[in-house]
Amino acid sequence: MEPTNFKNLFSTYETNEKFFDEIFDKKENVREVYKKLFDLYNSQTIEEFITVNNKAKTSFFNQGITFQVYSDEKAQEKIFPFDLFPRIIDAAEWKTLERGVLQRCKALNAFIWDIYHDKNIIKAGLVPMELISSSANYLRQMDGLDPVGGIYNHISGTDLIKHSDGKYYVLEDNIRCPSGVSYVMGNRNALKRSSFGVFNHYDLQTVSDYSENLLEIMESVKPKGVDVPTCVIITPGVFNSAYYEHAYLAKTIGIELVEGRDLVVENDFVYMKTISGLQKVDVIYRRIDDTFLDPLEFRKDSAIGVPGLFAAYQKGNVTLVNAPGTGVADDKAIYTYMPDIIKFYLGEEPILNNVHTYHCSRPVDLKFVLENIHNLVVKPVDEAGGYGISIGSRLTKPEIEAVKKVILENPRKYIAQPIMSLSVHPTYIEDCQSFEQRHVDLRTFTLLGQDKEFVLKGGLTRVALQKGNLIVNSSQGGGSKDTWVLKK
Amino acid sequence: MLARIANNLFWMGRYIERAEHTARFTNVNYFSSLDAPNKLSRDRQFVLRAIYEMVGEEDEDDEVLVEEEVLFNIALNSEKHYSILKCISYARENANSSRDLISNDFYESINKFYHSVMNYSKEHFVTRGLHDFTSHVMHQTTILKGKIRGTMLHDEVYALIKLGVNIERATQVTRILQIKYNDAEQVTLGKPKQLKKSFEWTTLLKCVDSFDINRRVYRRPPVQVTVLEFLMLNPCSPRTVLYCLNEIQTHITMLDPLIAHKKNTATFLIGKMRSEYKYKTVEDIQGDVKEFIAHTLDSLVEISEMLEDEYFYH
Repeated sequence: MEPTNFKNLFSTYETNEKFFDEIFDKKENVREVYKKLFDLYNSQTIEEFITVNNKAKTSFFNQGITFQVYSDEKAQEKIFPFDLFPRIIDAAEWKTLERGVLQRCKALNAFIWDIYHDKNIIKAGLVPMELISSSANYLRQMDGLDPVGGIYNHISGTDLIKHSDGKYYVLEDNIRCPSGVSYVMGNRNALKRSSFGVFNHYDLQTVSDYSENLLEIMESVKPKGVDVPTCVIITPGVFNSAYYEHAYLAKTIGIELVEGRDLVVENDFVYMKTISGLQKVDVIYRRIDDTFLDPLEFRKDSAIGVPGLFAAYQKGNVTLVNAPGTGVADDKAIYTYMPDIIKFYLGEEPILNNVHTYHCSRPVDLKFVLENIHNLVVKPVDEAGGYGISIGSRLTKPEIEAVKKVILENPRKYIAQPIMSLSVHPTYIEDCQSFEQRHVDLRTFTLLGQDKEFVLKGGLTRVALQKGNLIVNSSQGGGSKDTWVLKK
Repeated sequence: MLARIANNLFWMGRYIERAEHTARFTNVNYFSSLDAPNKLSRDRQFVLRAIYEMVGEEDEDDEVLVEEEVLFNIALNSEKHYSILKCISYARENANSSRDLISNDFYESINKFYHSVMNYSKEHFVTRGLHDFTSHVMHQTTILKGKIRGTMLHDEVYALIKLGVNIERATQVTRILQIKYNDAEQVTLGKPKQLKKSFEWTTLLKCVDSFDINRRVYRRPPVQVTVLEFLMLNPCSPRTVLYCLNEIQTHITMLDPLIAHKKNTATFLIGKMRSEYKYKTVEDIQGDVKEFIAHTLDSLVEISEMLEDEYFYH
């Protein structure tokens, strides 16, 4: 590739050797798989690209694919930033990823079963008991309960990154209520609408089969004795930031989207209030956190839950997807035991890498962490959404001292990991009207049911839009890209 | 179909329809008064007061209304529950809560419409934008109803929206009739001969977008009796009470085909009212027009309440 090609959209594109660039190799040549795509984008003028980009933005806005931002005066609607340059994963790479996330999800499921039953892994001395019993997400109410088909984490959203060594690492196993799948479909549609020409040059896997598979998974775990189950999705309501996704899933599956106030429990069976009276509900995909599910059993102040729901679940009259109490296993402290967990339950070597983790609860690790904060990322074990994270290399000396103090107050609450460098991908930056390197990660979506499993061939590539930022969560200014998995 | 969602769909239909009538009433009254044949009809205070009455705003009799304030309240004031902006916000909120049931095409239209109203400049509206804005609202609400009919499944979701639209339309037509009837009385100082041929009948028909088609039916300028007959009892014009009652009956039957003959259900009540109006003549109501108008409004409220009890609250 001649350097002249870097004009136009890539005029200010600077590469940084420290990071793995998804499309340029170390010699700044375009990787084989991206060649056609790069030529197509690079042959556009900046004006052409801006027009297309604005159209894509308007399309998201008009479709109401937005989230609320609460500023000083009133709520404002914003779209999730969407980048028109897709990310490509080739078939061989994907095959490994798919096997890897499936392996993890199955191991996690076996682990949760064990934790709520015989606790063999603790007896074997591989995972310390106090890690479980001290976890805020461990639900005593789930002890000894047998969910249909033995499935706990029906829906998992595994977060992966590509490190500077070019290998994938799992960062988080989200097995409570992972969100984002609607944006996978939304991004694909937006890219099709705005730049359909680019699809002619690649043979890629569809992402539109998620909803039908989700319904099959839900139906596969119907309660005993039910012939054709009535499935619903429960949402906290229109003001929830993920409401668009809840409505999207209900619509594409073709099932009711209910709120807590639409459901009522009578004699341990769950019913929804319809225009022609009460109708029994058998499987609930809940997008409400454990503690809000049922005010009789968990948080008494929950206004979005359903009184008596947990009792109905205990009796086996309704299936909850995901099962309550899965949070015990996607805890960042448990994460560090994942290689052992996979070996223990499946007898297999882990396919995907785990980031090495130091537990501040262990004296040796704690000492190392306190001495090396400047080279580490310190995370609280139970926060979601990228909150409470300290990146050591960015901290001043007094800030490091402050972090040390916080850790020492409650070592169990913190873990530390080497600073992983997320790979970078060319991303259009409006302010400079050009593509620049931005860090990306990948969330995959895995479904487990009774005798059925499914991994969505694609995923959500999240982009940290702030220059140099490593945090990709949408709540902290992240955007996303369409993610292509090639057929061959 | 969830009862809560059914309620939302019903009200979505009502708010879309209400926004349209408020827009048209304001537009027609304001512009037709500019060159009205008699002094009172041209009086700006008289017109503004009629507009306030249409949306149920209470004003003191001796209060002097400020034109810009009245127009802003009617159209864009987010603090006024009756403003067009508020109607569209409610309609879109209801659409949001039932996004999984309505078509993408319809949702995208109502969403775009909502943003266009939210972003409409207040200054432009109260000085130069009255015609532009009200036309925009009439146009967009018509598109919305077209999308409902043309892109959605004609099932219970559709039936509920149509129920809302038609109950609201029957109510608005009757209310507009009531207001303009009073206006006509005031303008003609209660002189029956003048009342019969008042200019207000033309305005009234225009307020419900029925002037042209009324002409096709009667072939002469509107007078008290033909207008009354037309708006209340014509079964073919889509903006009459009888037409709406027919629609209401069709759609309630779609919801619940089995309980049509059960005594004192909403379906029963609707059928009863429809039959009453179907076989009424203008001679029957001419004796006490005001009483008949009041009776019509009461019956519509009763039906709406009955629907709420039967379908929306469990």
